Amino acid sequence: MRKLVETCITAFSWIALFLLIAALFTLIAYLVQKGASSIELGLFFGDTSPLDALMLKRQVFDGLFPAIAGTLFLIIGSMLIAIPIGVAGGVYLAEYCRGKMKPLFNLTFDILAGVPSIVVGLAGLLLTIVLNRHFPGQIAPCLLLSCCCLALLVLPYLIRTTQTALESIDPLIRKTAPALGASRLQNITQVLLPHSINDIVSGIILATGRCAEDTAVIMLTGVVATAGFPRSLFGQYEALPFYIYYISSQYTGPDELAQGFGAAIILLLLCIGLLALALWIQRRFTSFLLFR
Amino acid sequence: MIVNTNIKIQTHSLCFYYYKQKVLRDISLQLPANKITAITGPSGSGKSTLLMAFNRLWEEIEGCKISGNVFMNLNGQNTNIYAPALPVLELRRKVGMVFQQPNPLPMSISKNIAFPLRLAHISNKNLISDSVEASLRKVSLWEEVKDRLNDDARLLSGGQQQRLCLARALVLSPEVLLLDEPTSSLDPEASAAIEELLLSLKTKCTLVMVSHYQDQIQRIADRHVKVLNGQCSINHRQA
Repeated sequence: MRKLVETCITAFSWIALFLLIAALFTLIAYLVQKGASSIELGLFFGDTSPLDALMLKRQVFDGLFPAIAGTLFLIIGSMLIAIPIGVAGGVYLAEYCRGKMKPLFNLTFDILAGVPSIVVGLAGLLLTIVLNRHFPGQIAPCLLLSCCCLALLVLPYLIRTTQTALESIDPLIRKTAPALGASRLQNITQVLLPHSINDIVSGIILATGRCAEDTAVIMLTGVVATAGFPRSLFGQYEALPFYIYYISSQYTGPDELAQGFGAAIILLLLCIGLLALALWIQRRFTSFLLFR
Repeated sequence: MIVNTNIKIQTHSLCFYYYKQKVLRDISLQLPANKITAITGPSGSGKSTLLMAFNRLWEEIEGCKISGNVFMNLNGQNTNIYAPALPVLELRRKVGMVFQQPNPLPMSISKNIAFPLRLAHISNKNLISDSVEASLRKVSLWEEVKDRLNDDARLLSGGQQQRLCLARALVLSPEVLLLDEPTSSLDPEASAAIEELLLSLKTKCTLVMVSHYQDQIQRIADRHVKVLNGQCSINHRQA
């Protein structure tokens, strides 16, 4: 009887794994089949010459180049805001916060993690409306606002991963530096954070993916269908997920639909590229922090 | 207060609490200078806690509380180590500690030894490399590692790692060395090497060692403190 149960559980695990991987490959194969034909230089730059577009001499209006740039800027901007705050928050919760405040903060961040992205977007929109009342005509939905809202969206992940990484460090390693005369800050910066950098970077990778794919937040805070290459933090911009969403609901012919699938492939490749970059940084960073 | 230069550490009705639990009860001890004092007792009797009371390391653990006093003869002065004015980091540089498991940090051998110096903001490179060499010589590790000081310290054998940790604790020339079962994760040969080292360190510092091994205590300890249910009894031995 026990053996039968064990066999069933093993079989179920295998099937689950197979389904998951099959789903992933079906998705990728479908995307490639539908969109591969559209992937050519024209998809990126339209009628503009690629060199002119890359040098920012001429704007691209019928290609994906501005959307790719917009998505990259979104990711960089929101990460620049979210990483310092998230890691600092995690360090505070794990190392400094004591007593009754801790469960309260934990609950708060759990609630924040559960807020749907559309609500975060609405909050950003509301902020612009309120600000607009005080500075009429000067505040409008823009790249910076989107970055702030996306940062707010991913902050709980970063705080939690940093906190969990720090709290799961072996007590012996935790005691090593203080026993040698390290202050609490020295212990955190020279031993505890380097020790947990792998877990923290994993959290950052997840958060980056979330920033790259989120549509609801940016839809309400500044993304538009046509804006050209983002020139300012205070201007509107294009982004890949919004482009995909827009094309899927508004396409006029099979060519445009294929472009939408092409954009989906590009977004996927962008995420894979960022993941590879993050893993590379993870390796370099660990040795840099620990062996300097 | 009687100031006796032969007494290195004195505790006065020291009590230790972990949340509501009383781990140590009313401990009053006098530990002699330049001797090895062994602390024994069953698991969970508070031996390691007693050690941590001497370098205030328990302050890093949530839920710990202490009452009573600990006086230590530091820089030739009888000092209350729990006096609010006493900087705890200074105390921990004077009172080194070695743990049961070797705990080299994931960096090179020389950087491990130099780590406490860096924590103390010492940046003179010559001074650092001299201190690293001197420390490694003190624990007879220099000859074994002098050609690979830049290798990862975690690649050393268990016994070598423990000697490395001992060298790291010695690099700031502490006056007191606390050892929490320093040989229990090592094989007999490596243990013998550590024991020999501890004997040779007696001239420079006062050693307080938690140990489970009766034969080890017989071999190297000058004094034997038994902890049972948070209370102490002392066996004097003729060294």
